[in-house]
Amino acid sequence: MNNINNTSSWPRAIVFIDMNAFFASVEQLDYPEWRGRPIGITNGIQGTCIITCSYEARAYGVKTGMRLKQARHLCPDLLQVPTHPHRYAEVSRNIMHALQDISPDQEIFSVDECFLDVTHCQQLFGTPEQIGLLAKQKVFAASGLLCSVGVSGDKTTAKYAAKQFKPNGFSVIPPWESRERLKNVPVIELCGIGEGITQFLAKYGVRTCGDVAQLPISILGKRFGNIGRRIWYMCQGADPDPLHSYVADAKSMGHGKVMPPNTVDPNVIMTYLRHMCEKVARRLRKNNLQAQHFFIGLRSYDWGWMGNKGQTILPTDDGKMIFELGQKIISDHWTKIPVGQIQVTALDPQRANLQYDLFTTPDEKRTALNTIIDDINAHFGEFTIAPATLLQRSSMHNVIAPAWKPDGHRQSI
Amino acid sequence: MKFTIQRELLLHALQLVIGVVERRQTLAVLSNILLKISNNQLHLVGTDLEVELTSHLTLIGDHVAGEITVPGRKFVDIVRSLSDEVMLEISDKNQNVIISSGRSRFTLTTLPAKDFPTSATLPNTIELTLKQTAFLVLLEQTYFAMAQQDVRYFLNGLLLELNDKKVRTVATDGHRLALCDLAMPLLSESTQVIIPRKGVMELLRLLNHNDDEISIKISTQSITLTTREFIFNSRLIDGRFPDYNKVIPKAGDKTVLIDKDLFKQVLNRVAILSNEKYHAVQIQLNAGLMAVIANNPEQEQAEEEVEIDYQGPVVNINFNVNYLIDAITALSTSSIKLTFSNPDSGVLIEGIGIDNVLYIVMPLRI
Repeated sequence: MNNINNTSSWPRAIVFIDMNAFFASVEQLDYPEWRGRPIGITNGIQGTCIITCSYEARAYGVKTGMRLKQARHLCPDLLQVPTHPHRYAEVSRNIMHALQDISPDQEIFSVDECFLDVTHCQQLFGTPEQIGLLAKQKVFAASGLLCSVGVSGDKTTAKYAAKQFKPNGFSVIPPWESRERLKNVPVIELCGIGEGITQFLAKYGVRTCGDVAQLPISILGKRFGNIGRRIWYMCQGADPDPLHSYVADAKSMGHGKVMPPNTVDPNVIMTYLRHMCEKVARRLRKNNLQAQHFFIGLRSYDWGWMGNKGQTILPTDDGKMIFELGQKIISDHWTKIPVGQIQVTALDPQRANLQYDLFTTPDEKRTALNTIIDDINAHFGEFTIAPATLLQRSSMHNVIAPAWKPDGHRQSI
Repeated sequence: MKFTIQRELLLHALQLVIGVVERRQTLAVLSNILLKISNNQLHLVGTDLEVELTSHLTLIGDHVAGEITVPGRKFVDIVRSLSDEVMLEISDKNQNVIISSGRSRFTLTTLPAKDFPTSATLPNTIELTLKQTAFLVLLEQTYFAMAQQDVRYFLNGLLLELNDKKVRTVATDGHRLALCDLAMPLLSESTQVIIPRKGVMELLRLLNHNDDEISIKISTQSITLTTREFIFNSRLIDGRFPDYNKVIPKAGDKTVLIDKDLFKQVLNRVAILSNEKYHAVQIQLNAGLMAVIANNPEQEQAEEEVEIDYQGPVVNINFNVNYLIDAITALSTSSIKLTFSNPDSGVLIEGIGIDNVLYIVMPLRI
């Protein structure tokens, strides 16, 4: 393989772009006084969990997922900054859009990461290395932010390469070197390989990517199916996975919320229930979907979930219908013990109003009402118009979903 | 209790009732089969509290009367695994049942017969007799349109209607409807009952296309069907079946006659590239030509044209292809008639030369 001339084009070229401490960087961009200072992002000013933090804070050992109290202990000067999800979405959208100028073959991996397949751009923009540098420039021009870029012949190796130097890193692993470069890398460092797979491999004495290559592919295939087979290729720097540029249909769609600890007041629970039902319904409508089967439940820390799957008469996208189902499920399953969490999930989202029914027609009045409410709320903000029972709710912030995509069905949680 | 019997006879009688015995039960006695000997007859009974099946055998050799229940599945497995044509001796001893045959002996645990729930004999309001094959046809033509687990629980069953010198079955899941009539000139009663899905599926398994007479007794709460081999008893669904007459399209003016097998083949071929979730196919009618089109999210497309004798306006309508195939498959005639009306009402599917069967399939909005 070494006889491949570096000036000829690569058979496959993938560029991976990873924004550095994205939310924190956006805040430091918008508020120059915070630049160079350790900041930790929390959900609103009441949030107690560090969603992410700046590199200055990381130097003190502050990590994502840490409690604010513990972070302050490590870094007394830590500045708490509430999230601005809409702003992050805006910056992300600008970045993703700018990168499409390089290649339309783009997989938005998360709010701050994406893959570009530049195999077919090499005549246009030069070597994959040059395209990788171009990506960095495009990101900076679109946002004023720095990013780390990895370039290789497959997705997994490109992502691994981007991880090598942070922040503002740049790393190229030509495809003919991938196998050798990954050889001594512990398997767990590759994207998508977690504890479960690592433990399974450890039973065979396998720790590094090189070890995996020695293992018969059938062992991984038998245990993990196609994902297992993919891992075998991934470890040899030959991840066959193509870029997924479209957002797959939602398999389920749900919203959950942590309620005040040990809630027993049925009115509080019903307010949260209505809120979650309205959110699920609104999201179904936004994506032109309806569902007929729902999971609705309350969680007690001692007894786990109390709830069940239920069915509406016709597929629905109306919060009121879901709420009525929820009231029934909760009255059947909640044993009045203290609970701390609520969940409403649509289990079978499907195209709205697809199948005509012989005996029931959709409620056109409700449909028209929901359309108007959605239009008003889109203009003046979520829940500007809402069922009156929701007036009592405490302010419940939306959190940007890690899997946010400009056009996806996952926007907030 | 004690009796001797040939393996095949017992196995056949057991297989008639075992279908209703659920594998997992909350009530232990429901996984058992009741064995009862009286008047030279051996009765075997299985139940799930909704459907009860009884088969009977005449005993020839020596036997001792009595009744007891034994684990159903194990009993069937034992009898099935023994060699052909052997004689089995079955007796109870110390609250066990012992099955002996040659050098094999099996001892099964039992539960007392008095704990076995048997259906109460309700006053029968209506009784009728008809040929087994005729009743089986009524079921076969309609059962597939029953709902599976609809919240409209009355749809999870089959409507049996006696009215106007006809026996009629109707099944619908809201998306499609199947209807079949059997003329009975001497019928004077009228009633409407809903047989639960499980009972219908059990009858389809048990009945045969023969000319034996069967008797049906309908009470307000249950239906009993008696054949030479078994007695079937099922509770009825307590609910109001929707007014199906209202939804049978009557204003259909766009009619297509087509060869059944040809149309079915076309649908089966086109269905390969239909959306895996919605199974949508588009039917286009143009003068002299029908086109059937399907495509899927992978941007693949199937299209097939059939020449038809049609001169009406252009029609463009989408259906779940499986619903069409189910209905067409059930029809026994070689040609069929499709009647379309407006785009938001269903297509009427009938066989040419018969007027006792009809299907309605509601369209998809695409």
